[in-house]
Amino acid sequence: MYNTRVRGILIKGNKSYDQVTSEILTPIYAPSAPTWWKISAFVATVALLLGVWAIYVTISTGIGTWGLNNNVAWGWAIINFVWWIGIGHAGTAFSIFLLIVRQKWRTSINRAAEAMTIFAVMAAGLFPLIHMGRIWDGFFIFPYWNTRGPLWDNFNSPLFWDVTAISTYLTASFLFWYMGMIPDFAIIRESAASKIRRKIYGILSFGWLGNAKGWLRFETAALLMGGMAAPLVVSVHSIVSMDFSVAVIPGWHTTIFPPYFVIGAIFSGFGMVLTLTIVMRKLYKFNDFITDGHLDAVARILTFISLIMGTAYMTELFVAWYSGSEYEMFTFMKNRVTGDYTFAYWSMITCNALIPQLFWFKKIRKNITAVFIISIFINIGMWFERYVIVVTSLSKDFLPSGWAVYKPTFIEIGIYIGTLGLFVLGVLLFFRYVPMIAISEVKHVLKETSTDEAFTENEKH
Amino acid sequence: MNRTNIVGIYDDHEGVLNAIDKIQENGYKVKDVFSPFPIHDVWEKLELHTLIPFTTFLYGASGTAMTFAFLYWSSVVSYPLKFGGKPLNTLSFVIILFVLTILVGTILTFITYLWREKMWPGKKVELPDPRTTNDKFAILIEKSKDFTGSDLETINNLLKDTGALEVKESNVSYHEK
Repeated sequence: MYNTRVRGILIKGNKSYDQVTSEILTPIYAPSAPTWWKISAFVATVALLLGVWAIYVTISTGIGTWGLNNNVAWGWAIINFVWWIGIGHAGTAFSIFLLIVRQKWRTSINRAAEAMTIFAVMAAGLFPLIHMGRIWDGFFIFPYWNTRGPLWDNFNSPLFWDVTAISTYLTASFLFWYMGMIPDFAIIRESAASKIRRKIYGILSFGWLGNAKGWLRFETAALLMGGMAAPLVVSVHSIVSMDFSVAVIPGWHTTIFPPYFVIGAIFSGFGMVLTLTIVMRKLYKFNDFITDGHLDAVARILTFISLIMGTAYMTELFVAWYSGSEYEMFTFMKNRVTGDYTFAYWSMITCNALIPQLFWFKKIRKNITAVFIISIFINIGMWFERYVIVVTSLSKDFLPSGWAVYKPTFIEIGIYIGTLGLFVLGVLLFFRYVPMIAISEVKHVLKETSTDEAFTENEKH
Repeated sequence: MNRTNIVGIYDDHEGVLNAIDKIQENGYKVKDVFSPFPIHDVWEKLELHTLIPFTTFLYGASGTAMTFAFLYWSSVVSYPLKFGGKPLNTLSFVIILFVLTILVGTILTFITYLWREKMWPGKKVELPDPRTTNDKFAILIEKSKDFTGSDLETINNLLKDTGALEVKESNVSYHEK
């Protein structure tokens, strides 16, 4: 297989297969979770409970408990929905795009990125669900045989597209993620000391054998499922962007929206992957698997995407001016660049387009603390981007008499904190009970990429 | 049905590939190979193929066709209702067609994989050697009835010569293909 030394050594320490297995499985075999794990799990559970309470209040009392009004009908719920969906793009982008372009360095990170995707999409899916108000009528969104005609859904509505896109994305990502874990569960089934573990992971491993034909079917099916999920990375956020861009609201009604949203999603997703892998590597001492080179590669990608983001922001401004529409000009120049929402707009520009440019400097890319801080800035910046898009356009549109101010209530903030709790708790459970790094995939690339000699030998051929 | 297999254990995939060549050169048949990760050359040497790509294509194509049939029937035939002055049978169906093609394709591919591999949650299996999930590689050669003592010795030697750590016999009947 094609092998290159461009990326250098992927797995450090010239490990044996057995070392790979045992080192990755150490956290699962540990008799009890570390203290930091318990504390974080407790905090996340409290946050989750706050969210559950806030959702209860929302459903039992109504959407009136939120700060929405006639003009600003979408607030934090939609901001957070788009934010979480964006973060949820990294898993698939990582696993699949990098699989297709044969980037071997993905093997150390893809499992964690996919896990993150699942939890982020779950958090995202909550928001449209409770935003419906009458959640018990939620099944109306599905085209089922009914007694009203039958009157079907509006299949031209982006909201319907959203439902299909997100449920498909969640299903496809979950199946792909689970499938990748089957061989690793089989390792635990065969090697765990405790009988209960053998039993549980035995059930989860579906009777995996690891014989030649089994691997052939496994790889073929995984590649096909990955290949099919790859267009979803592009389509899901394009469809989310159409929730906005098909509406004739200044600042939303632009053709740049689908690519702009997709690239933003990948940007925030990679940002979150960086945050998460740095934490994971630090806490579990996975420095040999997730090397500085891995983080460097992600940082480089982020630099490039950040440039695209900056270009998109400038394009929006240019088109607002070039369109000759006074409403567009007002939205961008008087209500974003200047005006009441200046802070949000310039936070977005600073965090997304400017700060990641620091990654041009090798010194900063090599300084893990700096990389971590910048990744947090990206997460914040992408939240502000969605805030700017959702709130500014709605609060001041065509008629000044209809202008309104939007402020979130404690309930909305509570739901957001709740989804953060859900995400963190999910990630913590993943840390504790699932092999965090795809063991069989790492083994697959181990021999060719763990020593300098392997590269030299390959070049001889 | 229990069949006895001769199992050669290796700790490197190169040894396995080498052994397969040697065994096949001597006119014996390699029944199966167990490994902790996929080895592409093994598939070539054992001439293994899978039809999953074709089935996936069929699933995707039928997903598109069925979705279109439903959209057309519900929007044009069953309850023709104009939205926003658009034609009843509109181009924007493409979006739902696209997404549902992927949904149907993915789910059915996964199910087909499980079905072909006869895998299900909680299925109990016994491996010829449990270490093959971790760091060992195993070659299985079926011990046929007409094997004479010299056949067994040849196979044993071939395995040992190509670097087998141990050679043993196993009665484990994992599902047969």
